[in-house]
Order: sequence, then C-alpha cells, then structure tokens
Amino acid sequence: MIQTILDALSYGGIYGLAALGIGLVFGVMRLVNFAHGELIAIGAYLLIVTIDLGLPLSILIAVTGTAILALLMEFGVFKRLRLAGPAVLLIASFGVSVFLQRFYEIIFGALPLSGQIAPWMAGVIEFGDTTITRGSVVTIILALVLLSAMWFFIEKTTLGLQIRAASSDFQTARLLGVRSNRVIGAAFVFSGVLAAAVAFVLVTQRGSVDPLFGVNITILALVGTVIGGLGSLQGAALGGFAVGATISLLNSFLGNYRVYTYTWLFILVIIVLLVRPGGLISNKAVKERV
Amino acid sequence: MNLLSVRDLHAGYGKVQVLYNGHIDVEPGELVGIVGPNGAGKSTFLGALAGSVRASNGSIDFDGASIKGKNPEDIVRLGLAMVPEGRAIFTDLTVNENLRLGLTGRREKSGAQRAIDEVMDLFPVLTTHKNHQAGLLSGGQQQQLAIARALVSEPKLLLLDEPSLGLSPTVIQDVFGVLARIQEQGTAIVVVEQRAHLVMSIAVRTLVMREGHIRATLSQADAQDEAKLAAAYFGTGEDRE
Repeated sequence: MIQTILDALSYGGIYGLAALGIGLVFGVMRLVNFAHGELIAIGAYLLIVTIDLGLPLSILIAVTGTAILALLMEFGVFKRLRLAGPAVLLIASFGVSVFLQRFYEIIFGALPLSGQIAPWMAGVIEFGDTTITRGSVVTIILALVLLSAMWFFIEKTTLGLQIRAASSDFQTARLLGVRSNRVIGAAFVFSGVLAAAVAFVLVTQRGSVDPLFGVNITILALVGTVIGGLGSLQGAALGGFAVGATISLLNSFLGNYRVYTYTWLFILVIIVLLVRPGGLISNKAVKERV
Repeated sequence: MNLLSVRDLHAGYGKVQVLYNGHIDVEPGELVGIVGPNGAGKSTFLGALAGSVRASNGSIDFDGASIKGKNPEDIVRLGLAMVPEGRAIFTDLTVNENLRLGLTGRREKSGAQRAIDEVMDLFPVLTTHKNHQAGLLSGGQQQQLAIARALVSEPKLLLLDEPSLGLSPTVIQDVFGVLARIQEQGTAIVVVEQRAHLVMSIAVRTLVMREGHIRATLSQADAQDEAKLAAAYFGTGEDRE
C-alpha cells in the first residue's frame, strides 16, 4: 500500500513537472508546444551518450543542452510566428516535433539507445516488512525540490512576476515595460530545464531512449494542463500531478485489467471538464467588478 | 517646445486602417483631451502613440526623438506610460505586485520605493488594500490602481483611455480630480473620453475625432457651446478642420 502511494506521488510529481514546463510556454505565448516531448527526448539522449563522463557532468550537459534546444525552438521558429494565431503556432509545434523526431532518427538511429543512468535508483529500501523502491523516493524528492524552486522563482522573483503578468495579459505587460523576448526566452529555458528533469526520471526507469521517447508523457501532460486550467501555472502543475497520480493508481488497482487504464483516465478527465470546464484552477477565477 | 508632436499619423490593424492623418501637440504639463463617438479611432490613436498599435505612416516625436515603430516596452522607458481601456489590471496579482510591475518601465531603477510611496499618498485606498488581490477591488479602486501603476514609472506623459468607463458619477469625479493633481505635479496627460463635457472641463484643448479623422480642436471655453460641440461630435454643420 505504501509503495502504491509512493508510486502515485512520484508519477504525479513527474507529470506535474512535464505539465508545468508546457504550461510556462503556453502562459506567455498561448502556444501548446507539442515539441516539448522532443525536449524530453534530447535530455534522455544526452544523459545516455554522456553518462561515461560521470552522472553530475552528464546531468549538467543534459540540462544545458535541453535548455539550449528550447531556446533554439523559440528563436528559430516560434519568435517568427509571434503575430500568428494559436492554430498556426500549434501546427508549427507539430512540425518542430516531427522534424526533431526524424533528426534524432538520423543522429541516434531509429532503434532504442540503451544505457544505465543511476542504476542505484533501481534498488529497494526496507522498513521492517515494507519495501519501497529508491526510484520512487528519489523522484518524489526531485519533483518536490524542482516544484518548490519553480514556485519560489514564479512567486518571489521579479522575472517570475513578469512571467505571471505576461501569462495573464501579454499586451498590458508590454505596456508596463515587461520585455517580451526576455520573458518568453525565460519561459522556454525553464521549460527545457523541467524537460531535462523529466528525461532523467524516465530514462532511469526505462533504461533506453528512442525518437518517440517523450511523446506519450507530453500528450498526457497536455491533458493535465487542460484539467488544471490553461493559463494557470499552479493549475498546470496540479493537473499534471492529478493525471500522473491517477494513471499510477489505476495501474495498481486495475491489476490484470490495466489495459483499460487510459480508458478510465479519460472518462475521469471528461467528468472533471464537464464539472469544471475552465479547469481546476481557472485563470479568470476573480470576476471583474464595477 | 512640444513634449509630444504627432503629424499625419496613419494606424490600424493588419490591412484595416483605422486612423487617418492623426496629429496632436502636447507641451510639458499640459492636459489634452480626445473625444468622439464609438469607433472614432480614439483608442487606436493612443495605442499607436504607446506602440501597441502599428503606425504605418506619419511621425511621432516624443521628448525630442522619434518613437514611431518602437516597441511598447521601449516607449514606456522613454517616459510615455499608458493606462489602457478597461483598466487592464492583473486581477490575480495583489495590488502591491501590480505596482511592482509598473516599476518595470522606470528609466532609473533608484527611487522605486519613493515612487510607490508617492502614489500611495495620491491613492490612500491602495495602502489599505496593498496585499489584497487586485480583482477584489471595486471598479473605482481598480481604476486608481491602473493609474497608480502607470505613475510609478514616473512618466513625462500619461495616456489614459476612457478612465470613466463603467464607473459611477461620484467615482468619476474622484478620478478626474486626481488627474488634475497629477497634472499639477508636472506630468502631461492625454485623456480619451466619450464624456466630452467631463474632459473638456479640465483639458486645455480637446480634439474631436470621428470616423478615424480629427475633425475639430476645441478650447476649454467651447465646452459651454453646445452647438459647436454637437457639430464637431456628430458631424452636423461644418467641421472646423
């Protein structure tokens, strides 16, 4: 039972990080970035190909490389589409996603690339009769640390305040002097850093990476951002957490019927959206008064 | 010397042109009004000055330099701040956080706390609510916050788009009373309004806009001349420009 709860918390934490990364970019650009999955994939590739340099250096390279790719996406594609509508941005992000998948195929091959990242995470910790996996504990700690750091950054720093303002009303933020390139660039960089963290956890669990490595979690994290409330950063993290934790719990409780996990997940998603169409934390929670 | 000098300004959205041959002169410390019916192009005019609406032709000189084509975030740093229509405060943020955002547009980063203290003196109600969510303020308080947020950047020129929108008559009087005090402190103001009498009573001159053009420039004395005002506002009779 304890392991089930820890698994739910660790799944929730990692999906929360993925959803927050997507939510940060959506907030400032109204861009649903499907190519976030390819940020997660490059993080995993970089971890595997550099792991011989030692874990700390490998993590540093993966985080830096993922953040740089996120910035390249912004400067190379999305910055040129600032004045385009959300549909154009969405299709452009599909294009970037598919382009990067083919690019990874050319560079790393279409078959899974294997490697052992932090094998110590596969072990168990025993408390009397109870055993829990190290991986779930490390994932929960990592998610807590990163979510706390992101909370501090968003809530307590000037740049975080500017990102919140730009997420709420980009034009007014610019009229007040908020530099659009700076906040959008920062959102992409932090989105990349969070993608690298997700990549670390996933690649330690799976032990391999392929060009479609980040697609599944990105789609589910996008569902999380919608459930949480598009445009709300807390909502994105909460929605992502809810989706991840629900998947984990459904996998545990459905047992041999776990093939129906996603069926039940999306039934729950539809129910939540029917009850709260604006998501769990609506961006327009406070009504305008006259 | 004019603080703001605009000539033959054309502006719009994409291929739709809304403003034609816009022109205005504002001296330091002056309060100039712009009135006109809905769709006259008043907000587009202000937006073009603040950089949020694309200006296609013409010139905008502010404080001795051209600002046409500059980004809004650069223009506010030159000392031209705008309070958009509908207040546009960040309802999810606190009053204090809204004011901190206003500091972003300051030319000099020193003196930020003094600037906040000064607007708190001007709008004492904001002191009471400084840690409250801005969306919980009344409409009048939100308008005061929007003006205060623009003022903490210590602009040389303040643009206000329909500050009376959605406010009760008493609150409108309070807001316009504050505008007079801001002007007394040396800040020039351009205020767009549909309530012509209200703005003409405090403006040194008022431009009347209709269908994207400036049709007349009226003096403070013209506010008492209903026939002249109606002719300029509704296009009856002969336009003065």
